Amino acid sequence: MALFLQILVIGLTTGAIYALIALGYTMVYGIIELINFAHGDIFMIGTFVCVSIFAAFGITSTSQAPTGFALVGVLLITLLGAMVICAVLGVVIERFAYRPLRNAPRLAPLITAIGVSLILENVGELWKGIGFVTFPQIFPQIFYHIGPITITSINILVIAVALVLMVCLQLFVTRTRTGRAMRAVAQDREAAALMGVNVNRIIAITFFIGASLAGAAGLIYGLQFGSTIFYLGFTLGLFAFTAAVLGGIGNLVGAMLGGVLIGVIEALSTLICDSTQPGCPIGLPHGGAAWHEAVIFVVLILILVFRPSGLLGQQTPEKV
Amino acid sequence: MSIVKTLVPARDTRALLIKWIVGLLVPLVVFTFVWSGEAIINNALLGAFGLGGVSDIAGLIQIALFLVIFYGTVIALAGYLVAADSGLRGMFGVWIDIAVFALVPILLVQGLGLILGLAVCATFWLLYFFVRRLVFKALKYTPPRPLLHVQALDSEQRVAVKNRGIMGSLWFSIALAVIWLVVDLIFYFSGALPTALLIWAVVRTLLLPVAGYFLGRLAGIIALRRTVAAKSNGDSGNPSKGDVSPIQQRQLEKLSTTRVREEARDLVPNDLPLRSTGAQRFFLILLVAFVLFYPVIDPLLFGYGTAGRLAGYGDAGYYVILALGLNIVVGFAGLLDLGYVAFFAIGAYTWGIIGSTQLTNVLNIAAINPHLLSALFWPMIIVSALVAALFGVLLGAPTLRLRGDYLAIVTLGFGEIVPIVFLEMDKYTNGTNGIVGVNSPSLPGVNWSIVTPVPYYYLILALIAFSIFVNVRLRDSRLGRAWIAIREDEIAAASSGVNLVATKLFAFGTGAFFSGIAGAYHSAKLGGVSPDSFSFGDSVIYLAMVVIGGIGSIPGVIVGALLVYALNEFLLAQLDSLAADPTNIMFGVRNAIVHFVPGFTFGNIRNLIFGFVLVLIMIFRPEGLIPSARRRREFRQVEEEGVEVGALDIVPGAPGFEEEVHVE
Repeated sequence: MALFLQILVIGLTTGAIYALIALGYTMVYGIIELINFAHGDIFMIGTFVCVSIFAAFGITSTSQAPTGFALVGVLLITLLGAMVICAVLGVVIERFAYRPLRNAPRLAPLITAIGVSLILENVGELWKGIGFVTFPQIFPQIFYHIGPITITSINILVIAVALVLMVCLQLFVTRTRTGRAMRAVAQDREAAALMGVNVNRIIAITFFIGASLAGAAGLIYGLQFGSTIFYLGFTLGLFAFTAAVLGGIGNLVGAMLGGVLIGVIEALSTLICDSTQPGCPIGLPHGGAAWHEAVIFVVLILILVFRPSGLLGQQTPEKV
Repeated sequence: MSIVKTLVPARDTRALLIKWIVGLLVPLVVFTFVWSGEAIINNALLGAFGLGGVSDIAGLIQIALFLVIFYGTVIALAGYLVAADSGLRGMFGVWIDIAVFALVPILLVQGLGLILGLAVCATFWLLYFFVRRLVFKALKYTPPRPLLHVQALDSEQRVAVKNRGIMGSLWFSIALAVIWLVVDLIFYFSGALPTALLIWAVVRTLLLPVAGYFLGRLAGIIALRRTVAAKSNGDSGNPSKGDVSPIQQRQLEKLSTTRVREEARDLVPNDLPLRSTGAQRFFLILLVAFVLFYPVIDPLLFGYGTAGRLAGYGDAGYYVILALGLNIVVGFAGLLDLGYVAFFAIGAYTWGIIGSTQLTNVLNIAAINPHLLSALFWPMIIVSALVAALFGVLLGAPTLRLRGDYLAIVTLGFGEIVPIVFLEMDKYTNGTNGIVGVNSPSLPGVNWSIVTPVPYYYLILALIAFSIFVNVRLRDSRLGRAWIAIREDEIAAASSGVNLVATKLFAFGTGAFFSGIAGAYHSAKLGGVSPDSFSFGDSVIYLAMVVIGGIGSIPGVIVGALLVYALNEFLLAQLDSLAADPTNIMFGVRNAIVHFVPGFTFGNIRNLIFGFVLVLIMIFRPEGLIPSARRRREFRQVEEEGVEVGALDIVPGAPGFEEEVHVE
């Protein structure tokens, strides 16, 4: 039972990160019906940007971590820096790669997105090399023991940052004019244009926000896991997309819920025992940990086959 | 003496003759003398006379066949072009065309090797098209369309066409013979030519015009088959041998003006005969002969290193088959498949497990005779393909109700799951170490192993020919049309009676079938299979092949596959090896870039270039390099002329047709 709860905590932490990235996917899909393959790589660029900003402050994995107000200041500046740079990157990608194809048949923007993803991965590889890049663990790690489970301060930081950002986003989308314009464009682009909404600007803002969330996710991912690599965006992006689909694509609360669920499912899959070891009634060879990617993909396929609109989405019939 | 009369050209054909003979002679002479056409022949003959050069009988016969086909086709092509030309277009346009599209590739390939030469050539052509468009815009010049009007010929004109064909080939071969003799005499008198070959030169000078006469008759007949016969008075239009067949005539009557113009590219007389379908048949013969006899002529054309090149082409070959298979799923049926590598892995592992010692591990039995396993390859190719097709159906079944993007993601998921399965199921697949020692196929009398590239080369040629044949038949079948209907609009297709489930499953199955073939070939050629060689990046490469080449177009995806393979495996490695040489300009280029980006090598930026190419192609030329006819019409709906293209187009045969399309 204690193991189960501990895994739940791990799952919640990773789930929070997936939720932040999933929000980017779901917002873009809701507004222009495009799966932005490059979004995961924007997240990866975010992690690299954080490493670079830390290095600019003189903080590396071997140097002394700052404390107190300096720590808070560095974290805030890095967070803002990563969010802004990733946001600008997202807007630039949209402007040059996706906007010319706004009215093209479905295949074209999808392939363009794959192309942009390749470009970003290679840029990452050229920037920081092909090996793992260590992320300075500057946040002090304090263990809190609540009953049988252990929560670290970093877990709390991750969940707190993610929650704050998600709440801000939800408030933005539901309570501001721009948020309303975003919902309008997502619902019916031409009608929104007729109502006086600058569609191009709203789409750019959507990419801006989505990418900035990915940048923030990059910082907290790095603080939690301590390393990053140029192909990180691909796998994590797919998991986040699965989360978005699970919750109902186009639905913000769904993305958050889906993210948490996928994090928990991934953590639970490590419980599957190794069928090659004795004492394991049903299991997978080499244990669940080696199969966790496959488990998540199976979840994705099951959702898409049995409930493509996701948990919180509405069933929209295809119109002729 | 009517023969003499037919041999001397009339005044109006003289201009045509000069145009085409000079045009075609220049690249042929360059190939023969500057490159190695002459060397091939001389080597073969020296070998035949026992004086050195190539000496084994099989090689000699192949070289002789290749040369006969090559020169014969070029002579016949000359005749066809003279016969098919309507004489409207000037000499210089044709000469520039031939120079850019025939001469430049020959010179570049000769100087830089096949792959690098073709790559530089492709870049040159891109620049040429771009500059030409600018020049035309600046000069306000529009080039003539291939056919300004459909010309129906009466019997006198048809005889003239045939005569033009004879004269074209005849005078071309006479010119060729004379030039060749002169050059050989120069070589002889400067001592570079043995006497035996001088005898051959004289014999050749006499043989060539005779061959030219008969090839010219053949070319004339080929040109005649593409003419439209004029209906003479009271004649019910009895189709004689040289006519467009009645079926074709009926088809022409049913088409709209646009399609007539398209089909008219094939008709004689033509304003741009080099681009007509008839000329393309000749080019195809040349290409097939070149590819078929390549192992024998490669050492004579490119020098040492044949084995390495052949091995490379064998590897490029399975990319072509994969592209053809993916073309069925993505191009014909419009089902975006991002996990195609899974089926490739299944095919590779099927032969990998059965064709090696892994089989004994799996079945828990003692050793099996390797010769038996090798002979098993031939049925196993079909079995691998069928197993892959079965999994194609199984993995396609969950996707039946999904639309484009979700379908892509689900196939991507499968593309990730399958290699993980292969990685983790140690007992059957040997896990991370992969399977080594996979047997090559065996054929009686052929020494075949992973170090002999020639049998693999011919095997992949046979497999590619089979794949192309099956693909073309599928495309033109009911199933193929059902696929295209699904691609365009599923609901409309279902309403028209297309069984969506069966058609989609067939698409997945057939696509996977070809990847199974490629997989079995790949694991045999590589001699092993490991799970790291199958990843999403490979799926993207296969998709890039189809997209860059032209979605749904069979020649397009073949060209796309070769291009992508060249970029992936050859080009950047070549650039890197050039950059390692301090005397090359690439060295300086690389150092300049390393200043800004440490860790830069040309090999590292492969994905960067790929990504840019994909994005640029999707934005600027989404129909691909060689689009299928359907796509070309889809993407470029507006014709440049003022003729309105619409559903109420006037068809040939209707009263208003004569005014719109001028028929003489």
